[in-house]
Amino acid sequence: MSIGILVLAVLILAAAGFVLGRQRALATAGGDPRRLHSLPGHYGQFTAILAAVPALVLLAIWLLAQPLAIESRIAPMLTADSPADRSLAMADVRRISIGLDLLAVSDRLSEDAVASLSSETLAPRLRQVGTAVTQVTPEALSAAKAHRTMRHTLQIWMTAAVGLTAATCFVFALLRIRPDFRARNVSERFVMWLLIAASLVAVATTAGIVLSLVSETLHFFRIYPAREFFLSLTWNPQFRGGSDLGIWPLLWGTVYISIIALIVAVPIGLLTAVYLSEYASRRTRGWAKPAIEILAGIPTIVYGLFALITVGPALRDWFAQPLGLGASSSSVMTAGLVMGIMLIPFVSSLSDDIINAVPQSLRDGSYGLGATQSETVKLVILPAALPGIVGAVLLAASRAIGETMIVVLGAGAAAKLSLNPFEAMTTVTVKIVSQLTGDTEFASPETLVAFALGLTLFVMTLVLNVLALYIVRKYREQYE
Amino acid sequence: MDDIRFAERDLCVTEAKIAARDVQVHYGTNHALKDVNVDILEQTVTAFIGPSGCGKSTFLRCLNRMNDTIPGCRIEGRLTLDGQDIYDPRVDPVQLRAKVGMVFQKPNPFPKSIYDNVAYGPRIHGLTRNKAELDEIVEKSLRRAALWEEAKDRLASPGTGLSGGQQQRLCIARAIATSPEVLLMDEPCSALDPIATAQIEELIDELRAQFSVVIVTHSMQQAARVSQRTAFFHLGRLVEYGETGQIFTNPHDPRTESYISGRIG
Ligand SMILES: Nc1ncnc2c1ncn2[C@@H]1O[C@H](COP(=O)(O)OP(=O)(O)OP(=O)(O)O)[C@@H](O)[C@H]1O
Ligand SMILES: [Mg+2]
Repeated sequence: MSIGILVLAVLILAAAGFVLGRQRALATAGGDPRRLHSLPGHYGQFTAILAAVPALVLLAIWLLAQPLAIESRIAPMLTADSPADRSLAMADVRRISIGLDLLAVSDRLSEDAVASLSSETLAPRLRQVGTAVTQVTPEALSAAKAHRTMRHTLQIWMTAAVGLTAATCFVFALLRIRPDFRARNVSERFVMWLLIAASLVAVATTAGIVLSLVSETLHFFRIYPAREFFLSLTWNPQFRGGSDLGIWPLLWGTVYISIIALIVAVPIGLLTAVYLSEYASRRTRGWAKPAIEILAGIPTIVYGLFALITVGPALRDWFAQPLGLGASSSSVMTAGLVMGIMLIPFVSSLSDDIINAVPQSLRDGSYGLGATQSETVKLVILPAALPGIVGAVLLAASRAIGETMIVVLGAGAAAKLSLNPFEAMTTVTVKIVSQLTGDTEFASPETLVAFALGLTLFVMTLVLNVLALYIVRKYREQYE
Repeated sequence: MDDIRFAERDLCVTEAKIAARDVQVHYGTNHALKDVNVDILEQTVTAFIGPSGCGKSTFLRCLNRMNDTIPGCRIEGRLTLDGQDIYDPRVDPVQLRAKVGMVFQKPNPFPKSIYDNVAYGPRIHGLTRNKAELDEIVEKSLRRAALWEEAKDRLASPGTGLSGGQQQRLCIARAIATSPEVLLMDEPCSALDPIATAQIEELIDELRAQFSVVIVTHSMQQAARVSQRTAFFHLGRLVEYGETGQIFTNPHDPRTESYISGRIG
């Protein structure tokens, strides 16, 4: 039985369990639901949960453990010199073993026929059924046959074990149903565990990302001195080793571009938010707010194109060249301006929400004292909303730091430490991409430095986010 | 009604400060105030009484155009301050509100220091020339609102950190700091203990020398104690308006009588 059908069978049993559990609960209570501890539906849920969950958990564990068990038995049959060779050979065996299955179906081979297949003519036949193997050694073939038999036997055992678990738990659940049985508590607890499991996925992913970054970074620092990385002022990776991998030019580019972006985005976004929430009529707000939010929906690569084709050349022709500051159309200024435009809706819609959260009674208080609208905004609303706005700005900053596409197309890829805003520079994110997609060997410092850069970036944005959350939370407490 | 003590009714002024003629207020489709006619006199305390939801706050907000900030609120009829139409397009609501101050039903201190809360009005209207004058206004206003003793050591701490009753007195101090000509007070004593209430009532009586005061209250005793004129609102209509003593002892309208004696409301 295939796994899909097995899962389906368990689910059907669970559905039947729901109906039967409900009926049985009503029956034990003599048809009067008020005599039950929980609602009849809860007894149904209880039976369904017991029928499905243990069986499906068992299935998941089995599916994880089965390949490990089989491969540890197969491994001694293969001769290999290094762990890398062994894993390659094992991958071959796995492919051939699956290929044999396909062959057996397409050529209608009996089990004996499969067992007596020989390795000489096998490769082309396997390729015909869609298995990518170049050659089949006798050793690999015998291992693959063993692999296949074990798979089949274990599969039968698995079906039996899962089916038996589901059936046992199902019957057990039905027997437990009695009017005073607390089925609601069971189903409530199940919901709780479901929610915990869902949130664990996010937490575990974050932890996994951090762990993999940390382990590769440690690997990097073992082959490249940390002092150099943190203190050197040059970034000059070489293909043949002997590179300078100082983080400062990249960090400077990141910070410089982000600052320009924030200088553009924060005032414009904030003033937009004030207009929308305080001055605009309901009609204007109705179309202006979505129009601005469209900006937020544009993919950053499109902003990058805008920077490359329009903003960059315009800045070069009108500012950089007349002022004698450079002749490059990729510049910090280009990337910063365009990134600033990208961040405007981000700042404005966050600030708009925050300004709207300032209670109307404060506005009334100010107007009631004879304040004008701009005095009210300046003296009451913005100070009251300030912590929240700071939080919004920090969130925008962490987006600016993580932005890649606009920088590649707008600012170029030259790592430089310079104050001239019309010079091409680059950022941490761009270099992560170019180091990882280069031709160098994976274990070289030139590639692994990407992880150290990534971790640095992660720490920077983490600090900004924590700061932002802290400030936003403090702000929330004010009106409680 | 015998236990009610009345304010002395030495009404020397009969000039109308604010006059309302056939005022109608709609909130969208809700006709909240119907045909209100009233003259609010100079140097007089006028009390608005009536059951909850009858439109007292609504009428109060008409008097300094605070209803302008509510979307969907429409006002018809004629309202004048010193003979000048309040809703004339040439009238600047900002100037009007500087003249007609308001204390709101719910205390709404700004999230600023106690000092800055009180100094807010004088600052935006440029009432003082230097810090010493401002300090003086702040101290005087806080004293008159009976908050000085509690607040003098913590003028720099936020006004939102005060207790509900202290916040209410802070809002009163904030409103009188701008020296308005008319002061509208929407249930100014709703969160105050009897001592603070007595102090505020004393303040109201004292303010009468310079301002007209309009006070909304749910306490009959308070209306009787502080006001010279009383208006009784019911279901969006001004049912009866007259001298406080007459309203409480000899109401003309049966609805007024039953409200005062506690039968409706
Ligand atoms: N902002 C508003 N929007 C819509 N309707 C309102 C608004 N404010 C008040 N109303 C309506 O107007 C009517 C009068 O309300 P108002 O606040 O003037 O009553 P009130 O006499 O002050 O009552 P209370 O003594 O409870 O404060 C009520 O029916 C209320 O529902
Ligand atoms: Mg009210």
